[in-house]
Amino acid sequence: MKAPFSPYLNELAPGLKKLIGLLRERYDYVSVLSTDSVGFQVRISQRAKSVTRETMTTERGTVVRVYRDGLYSEAAFTGFDPENAEAFCREITEELDAQLELLRETGTQPYETGILPDEERRIFVEMETERLPETEDMAALVTRLSEISDEGVRTGENLIDCILRASSTHICKLFLTERQDLRQSYVYSEGGIAALASRDGRTEMAYTSVSGRCGPELFDSLRDKLPEALRIAEDLLRSERVEPGEYDVITSPEVTGLIAHEAFGHGVEMDMFVKGRALGAEYIGKRVGSDLVTMHEGALCAVDVASYAFDDEGTPAGDVTEIENGILRTGICDALSALRLGTVPTGNGKRENFAHKVYTRMTNTVFDSGKNTLEEMIASIQKGYLLQGMQSGMEDPKHWGIQCIIDRGYEIADGKLTGKVVSPLVMTGYVPDLLNSVSMVSGDRETFGSGGCGKGHKEWVKVSDGGPYLKAKVRLG
Amino acid sequence: MMKSWDRLIELLRTSGADAWEAADVEEKGWEFYFIRRRLDQNRAKRVRNFDVRVYRRLEDGKYLGSAGAKIPADASEEETRRMIADLCRNAEYVRNPAYTLNPPVQAEKAETEKQADVRAISAGFLHALRSVPETETEDLNSCEIFVSEIRRHFMNSEGIDVTEVYPASMLETVVNARKEGREIELYRLYHSGSCDETQVIRDLSETLSYGRDRLNTVPTPALGQADVVFSTDAAREIYDWFITRMSAGAVFRGISDWKIGQEVQEGGDGDRVTVRAVRELPNSSRNTAYDSEGAPVRDLTLIENGRAEHYFGSRQFSQYLHLEDSFIAGNFEVTGGSATAEELRQGSCLEIVEFSDFQVDEITGDLAGEIRLAYWNDGGKRIPVSGGSVSGSMRELAKTMRFSSAGRQFDNYRIPEVTRLKNVTVTGIRETK
Repeated sequence: MKAPFSPYLNELAPGLKKLIGLLRERYDYVSVLSTDSVGFQVRISQRAKSVTRETMTTERGTVVRVYRDGLYSEAAFTGFDPENAEAFCREITEELDAQLELLRETGTQPYETGILPDEERRIFVEMETERLPETEDMAALVTRLSEISDEGVRTGENLIDCILRASSTHICKLFLTERQDLRQSYVYSEGGIAALASRDGRTEMAYTSVSGRCGPELFDSLRDKLPEALRIAEDLLRSERVEPGEYDVITSPEVTGLIAHEAFGHGVEMDMFVKGRALGAEYIGKRVGSDLVTMHEGALCAVDVASYAFDDEGTPAGDVTEIENGILRTGICDALSALRLGTVPTGNGKRENFAHKVYTRMTNTVFDSGKNTLEEMIASIQKGYLLQGMQSGMEDPKHWGIQCIIDRGYEIADGKLTGKVVSPLVMTGYVPDLLNSVSMVSGDRETFGSGGCGKGHKEWVKVSDGGPYLKAKVRLG
Repeated sequence: MMKSWDRLIELLRTSGADAWEAADVEEKGWEFYFIRRRLDQNRAKRVRNFDVRVYRRLEDGKYLGSAGAKIPADASEEETRRMIADLCRNAEYVRNPAYTLNPPVQAEKAETEKQADVRAISAGFLHALRSVPETETEDLNSCEIFVSEIRRHFMNSEGIDVTEVYPASMLETVVNARKEGREIELYRLYHSGSCDETQVIRDLSETLSYGRDRLNTVPTPALGQADVVFSTDAAREIYDWFITRMSAGAVFRGISDWKIGQEVQEGGDGDRVTVRAVRELPNSSRNTAYDSEGAPVRDLTLIENGRAEHYFGSRQFSQYLHLEDSFIAGNFEVTGGSATAEELRQGSCLEIVEFSDFQVDEITGDLAGEIRLAYWNDGGKRIPVSGGSVSGSMRELAKTMRFSSAGRQFDNYRIPEVTRLKNVTVTGIRETK
């Protein structure tokens, strides 16, 4: 079935178009983004259960962007009344004028920016899904998740709890200008199993996850992830500390995705180029990785939680080749940064929600596949680790440092897995050193879309990332 | 809009729910974004939603089910009625051991209205940023100012009806320093109630000086094990580990195994922490008289001289642990240190003032972070270093940690000015001689 577009937004549209007309009398450019996204989140454990009709991306509200005298301003609000556009126009202009008065008092000058083009465009997209979060049988879902949790603690050794999480969101967004009318509707879902295990005073949490641009049907197969969660919990309980040092490693697709995200995901967000905060601006056309490294970014380059039809500024979704055979080709860009840099937007202007500012943000960030097999890669390592599972990462576009907290490392000695596990692992280094050390790439690839991505320490959005297995040399602590 | 709130409450009362909670949350915000000294964008927002949770008693009160939602304030009566009916149905599938909602209790010194003038607070930030002592080689790359007035009206089926208005602010800054064609940056994100101009200028001046030093770093030596000193807001993570392990939710879910009366730092000779939840801290963004469930917030000792005294937390988990009059704490104060900051910096130690990200895992106690700027104090020398990482486990490090008697506030945490962890693993990028 197609995910139906929001009737609420359809009702709002005529009033919003009237609001745009009224604001155009004062401003040279006006756009409106209205959102109406619904969903659910279920969390089941042996000790507490919860159901909410709220997820990271459920929202309803409107944001207006206006332009005059080289300056862009925005007003975000809830409760738009399509019968009363005049009153909203008055409130918006009064509030923005009050801000400008304060700025004048402090002698603040705008960062002069050109006007956004407004070319005729119509998009109406209702993407496929098997089921919708708003009509999902919650009783059946709670029962199914409870059964998996029960099975987990029944069969898992040393398990204190088995926590199931299932979240599904139906996104509906309406973008309007004088000449554009864009409407999209799609569903994405994500879930996971967390196995909390304890032995001899040591407590560990093991995670597995699923995600996709699909409906709650995703959770029909969540049970399949249970054995993996239980195995990881046991691995963590017997894990040792790693001897700090530099090692040959193989990164699993999840860890590969974390590297993609932190290394050249954030590193080529071009709003950072405008601020002079990204070293990548100086390396376009230059080598940043080995010949085996090719990386794509865009809502069209994979089908996962961030695979939309247009971004929050009305730019159609794209697929950008950021790195091609080790050469940095280009970055990703929101519409205002593109104006400032004299380039074109790539469909990466995203907001945390309607009440937040647009920044250049990632969608799907993925390394391309190669030709090796995992078995060949393991056999090639004398001493090192197979890295699996991620905990967190932190970007450093200015200096190209990288910090990734990896969940587990499986020791490889003389070309074979020894069964020894180390955890957790802090992987640090200089991004080009890491990417230039990539010497083998597997033929498969996988993306992961569970969790969120921040800009600095705020502005959380949905992204996915991934790729194949990579062989590289990294520093572990 | 008052009409829609009244209608919501009426619909909840007649919905068949056995109990309910509702919060009318309205945020009026002003935001200013700067690239260098130029205004990138100004933004205004006025956002209102109703946070609703309904409860159903199941199997003669043995269980309590609940379901929650954020209901748009402009939802029609039909939509609101449908959403509440949906929540009532969903609540029947969520069987948790029974508990009761908070009864109405007057908070001590409850202030229903606080000053939250977004224009005046914004003016304070704008003035403070213009007063930061930039130089030709150290300056502000970009800043983002967020100022909000939050009005929260909370009601529940037990008779609680309280309204609070308070300010909440956030300032993000990126500092640059440059020398001989090389430029570095340092990132800061500050939260507060309103704007304390003096504090903003002091913190950013300190960051500018760190920027200067970062340009003169050498690679961090591979120290193996070393004493590590924390003197910036990263130390909050260390004390947050103690606080989280005293929360009723963590204890009930098995994430924390700490028992009341237990010595939580047993086995070492370090300073013993005293951790208190406090009703107010100067200019904290979390200064409210009531928590999000309507319970009055008060001062409460969580850990006294290293000994677990009181858990704290939400109504549900507090009742499961048979706690009386508990609440969700927002402000915390840590004391108990015996040394001065100078004493804690003596001897060989690595004082880390800038991480890319520093984290302490709430379950395992494992800590980790990449070093962006640190000072290696050795043999009377203080050498700026960068690169490499630290790791260890608070389960062990808490036993021997030392911290200063003097404190320093970071938004809703007042913690020791200087904290020293012994024998932390330091993975450097330069071999020691």
